[in-house]
Amino acid sequence: MWKSFCILFKKDCQMMIAGKFFLVAVGSLLIYTLFINFGYINFMNMQLYNVYLYDPQGTQQEVSERICPVSSLEELETVLLADTNGVGIDLSSGTPNIILYYGSKKVDKHRADYASLLLYSSDKYTAQIVGTNTTKLKQQKEMSCELLFIEIVAVGFLGIASVLFKEKQMGVIRVHAVLPLKKSLFILSKLAVFLVSDLVFAVLLTLLNVGFFDTIHILPAVLVQTAILSLIMALMGFGCTMLLNDFKQFSLAYLIIALFVATPIFLSANTSIKMAWIDWHPFYQVYMGLKNAYFGVPVTSPVYYICSACGIAVLFVIVQTAFHKEMGKEG
Amino acid sequence: MIEVKNLTFSYGKDKQVLHSLNFVVGDGEIFGFLGPNGSGKSTTQKILTGILKGHGGTVSLFGQDISMVHTQDFFQKIGVLFEFPYLYANLSAIDNLKYFSSFYPAKQLRDIGEVLEELEFKSDFLKKPVSSYSKGMRQRVSMARALISNPQLLFLDEPTSGLDPTGAVLFRKIIEEERRKGTTVFLTTHNMLDADLLCDRVAFITNGNIVALDTPKRLKEQNSKRRVVVSYLYQGRREEKTIEIPELEAGIPFLHDEILSIHSEEPTLEDMFIQYTGRGLS
Repeated sequence: MWKSFCILFKKDCQMMIAGKFFLVAVGSLLIYTLFINFGYINFMNMQLYNVYLYDPQGTQQEVSERICPVSSLEELETVLLADTNGVGIDLSSGTPNIILYYGSKKVDKHRADYASLLLYSSDKYTAQIVGTNTTKLKQQKEMSCELLFIEIVAVGFLGIASVLFKEKQMGVIRVHAVLPLKKSLFILSKLAVFLVSDLVFAVLLTLLNVGFFDTIHILPAVLVQTAILSLIMALMGFGCTMLLNDFKQFSLAYLIIALFVATPIFLSANTSIKMAWIDWHPFYQVYMGLKNAYFGVPVTSPVYYICSACGIAVLFVIVQTAFHKEMGKEG
Repeated sequence: MIEVKNLTFSYGKDKQVLHSLNFVVGDGEIFGFLGPNGSGKSTTQKILTGILKGHGGTVSLFGQDISMVHTQDFFQKIGVLFEFPYLYANLSAIDNLKYFSSFYPAKQLRDIGEVLEELEFKSDFLKKPVSSYSKGMRQRVSMARALISNPQLLFLDEPTSGLDPTGAVLFRKIIEEERRKGTTVFLTTHNMLDADLLCDRVAFITNGNIVALDTPKRLKEQNSKRRVVVSYLYQGRREEKTIEIPELEAGIPFLHDEILSIHSEEPTLEDMFIQYTGRGLS
């Protein structure tokens, strides 16, 4: 069995080399690294939030120089309309009321914390410390996580489909039906190739963008999440290829998956848009697992790992059924 | 070698494609399985090769029930040539054969070069990718793939399809050679010449039923009109007469100067095909 697996694994690697999959992966790695280090960091290196204070009774004598005082509530609203990232503090009632233009709860809390820290001296107010990362490192981790997720969900998914559609068109899948080997090895070898490829990609992307010492600290957790996502996407790609007739149909399926998998996750995780059902989205959980792994807070809930294992097992059974159906098809 | 009893198969609830098939294929026999498109030939072959499961009745190969034995050992004993040459287009003939043969124990394998030579494969194409081959060359590599493991039971689906007449003759010679070695051959074909020249026995299948099973010779005899058409010259004129075979026993029963030809009106296997299946060959 081991011999058959090695033969299949070698052949799959050859197919991926012939299909220039590894070349595309190396290209993606370079582009992502250049983007993170020379694009994203500079682009995101914006000014701190402006904090505007309306204090008609003059209750605060010593406030930070970074706070801009305003003379009326109307003026406060006007400046916040112009500076949508700014934070307003209304002290007209005696207690601070934080006013924002618009934002999600998480961002609000972050900005409110910052404004409160400027308003009060550090002995009166302690901001919640959520990590020891520098701004640059935080941005590097954030973007590395997102690009790794995109790479696996989009590129890896397309990669397995391109290899399998070739084999399907050549009809060689049917030949494997009459070869003396366990048929599930055909699926396992494909999963193994993409798993190894995704893990290597994750190691290199993290090393190049997060740095050696931080990578060593977070890598085990990152690899666990990468493996979960890689297996799920490879099985989904395999299943779609078996069930769909051609690459055109697959492209449509790919669009739907991209729309329903990636878009809500990125919107929920990175913008102020909040969807009530997002916690039930399995990929959101995996994405957050990956993100938390990058920030040194690996998922410890056994429920998460049990659900992931069950999901992978169910997908494997579906793929196996579709694979046997494909082997029995006419030429 | 193969024993099929009351074989039934359905795709879904209402689509029964095989209705109680019964036949036996002996060791070293070439058995032709003939029928029009959609008659159930491929389904039967898929059940025999272990690709399709969930059949009714019993199917035994090598003396064992096929639903009980689906081990690697079974697949080591069979060789399958599909209707289309399924090969890795980006690999060469040699690499394809190396890959497919690597799943078999080394001791049962034939030499790749020797098999390709037997199939008269052009040596300058050996290392070129299959995508650059003609259909005939691909069919030769596919045949080599089926033969490389020295199978005891060979399933051939349209083996001479895509071959020129010389290639078809060569393939028939190779199949005959396999028979001499003791290999059992299950041949599925539309080519009645192949069936007539190669098969010890043939079965005609239509709408999932076997409607006739015998040697090609006996099937033709059974359906013969037992007449001959005699062409002859008499008083300088060419004439033709149809007479019953028993009439010939006492010699040519009419006056003639010279017999030009005698043609029996024995039906061809193609006539049998049309008669039994109710359809012509496509």
